[in-house]
Amino acid sequence: MDELMQILEELRPDVDFENETSLIDNSILDSFDIVALVGELNDAFDIEIKPNNLIPENFNSAKAMMAMIEQLQDE
Amino acid sequence: METSVINRLDKVVRKYPQKIILKDNTKALTFREFDETTKSIGTYLSNLVCAETPIAVMSGRHAYTPAFFLGVVRAGCFYAPIDADMPKARLNQILSVINAPILLTDKDHLKTAQELNFDGKIIVAEDILNTEIDENVLSCRASVITSVSPLYVIFTSGSTGKPKGVITSHLSLMTYIDSVAKVLNINENDILGNQSPLDYIAAIRDIYLPISFGAQTYIIPKNEFAIPTALFDTLNREKITTLCWSVAGVELPAKLNAFESGKPEYLKKLCFSGSVISNKYLKIWQEALPNVLYVNQYGPTEATASCTYYIIRDKVSENTVLPIGRPYENYKIILLNDDNTKTKTGQIGQICIGGPIVALGYYANEEISSASFIQNPLNKNYRETIYKTGDLGRFNENGDLEFHGRMDRQVKHLGHRIELGEIEETAKNIMGIDDCCAMYHKEKENLYLFYTGEASSKDIILSFRSVMPAFMVPRKIVKLDKLPVLPNGKTDMQILKQYFK
Repeated sequence: MDELMQILEELRPDVDFENETSLIDNSILDSFDIVALVGELNDAFDIEIKPNNLIPENFNSAKAMMAMIEQLQDE
Repeated sequence: METSVINRLDKVVRKYPQKIILKDNTKALTFREFDETTKSIGTYLSNLVCAETPIAVMSGRHAYTPAFFLGVVRAGCFYAPIDADMPKARLNQILSVINAPILLTDKDHLKTAQELNFDGKIIVAEDILNTEIDENVLSCRASVITSVSPLYVIFTSGSTGKPKGVITSHLSLMTYIDSVAKVLNINENDILGNQSPLDYIAAIRDIYLPISFGAQTYIIPKNEFAIPTALFDTLNREKITTLCWSVAGVELPAKLNAFESGKPEYLKKLCFSGSVISNKYLKIWQEALPNVLYVNQYGPTEATASCTYYIIRDKVSENTVLPIGRPYENYKIILLNDDNTKTKTGQIGQICIGGPIVALGYYANEEISSASFIQNPLNKNYRETIYKTGDLGRFNENGDLEFHGRMDRQVKHLGHRIELGEIEETAKNIMGIDDCCAMYHKEKENLYLFYTGEASSKDIILSFRSVMPAFMVPRKIVKLDKLPVLPNGKTDMQILKQYFK
């Protein structure tokens, strides 16, 4: 989780990732952030995020992202 | 002859009263509802201001916003659309330039409006939608408009840091819309998917193609661009046939591998503009959707959105140099040397644009207007205004215009002339580079490449060495998570300069 938080904070230091739960629904992260984030997460966690993983529920909060990452690591 | 977009609106409403003109994810407006909205707002505003007055409009990303714009036009006035998401300092700057007596906003943005340094009257559009329509007042206001009256003022970033308001006339807008519609073969069966912010120049196609030809526009929610499957679902659910997007928007689904899980089934036409598209992403589109009409456009806001177009008939490869093509109908392109003489055939020169699409200048800024909008130096016999773009171009052997970067991005490095745009084009064709920006640190004589992607600096240098002379290989390679962008989507070079060491 720490590694994820570090990536997120470097990506968007202006966002409160600890508490925010509507990152996508409220358009806090834009499409360009997602493009950057997907690349970072794939590298950092050795996973492959597919288009069908790119749904709001997986990216609305740091917690949801972590859950997705763990699930992809298990596969 | 039509004198204004009002003529078009009147005509299209008679023809398709029950058809949908605009739709977003919560509501849909028919042409008649749209028209009545414009008339109520127009009547209300006519009681407050004279014709030919600027009205600032700050309204959200929804189906009513274009109707608010046209409501301003119904009052014989012109609108300056502004984006509430911009920093307040920037909004205040724009308001101080346009000096409008009225700021028309929607309920959602009333609070933002009240926090701005604005002395005029703030009106919430939803509060005046029930204004009783006065046809006499409206026809009187419509008669004041001539084809060269301002239609809107759209603000772009100025190199000096102060935003410039580009004034576009009814004639310019209608000329562009008719020309682009001919190339894209737009008709009443087309459904456009709007990507551009509504206050931005790129949205004029999504607003005025429906008004001119009875087409429909669906305003795609902003957050769907982050979720490619949702984006494609929307395009398919709404049966969208036509996309006029920024290059950045077109590249997104390709970058996120969206085509692995689906594609826009109804899409027939895709035109893009704003920057040079990366061949590798265009190729992904072409492979997934081989029968779509792909059109590369070029042009500044000062020449009404786009002035040249190139229909892409062949599949692109890594080395393709995509031309920006030929002038749209009723657009004139000339290439000038630095000394204002005509360039020789096949030579690079500054792209200058003439014709009825040349803007009326920058609002309340005679000084900058007269520097960019000049008498055609090749014409000594009568008045002919051209706009100097600051962009460089060259006509290739097929008569198509090629884009050769910005004039102000040509640098001399170790005695050689280098186009930073060329460095970027080279870098973009290297595997593992998603986006990049080349810059020159004059004092230290260092060529910088800022990039995003997986490539290592070693890979990049080796690739450069295999295709470029040594002096064109960047010396400093800086990997970034994301290139800083200006509100218009272009790279913010001022921020990148901070990396110079």
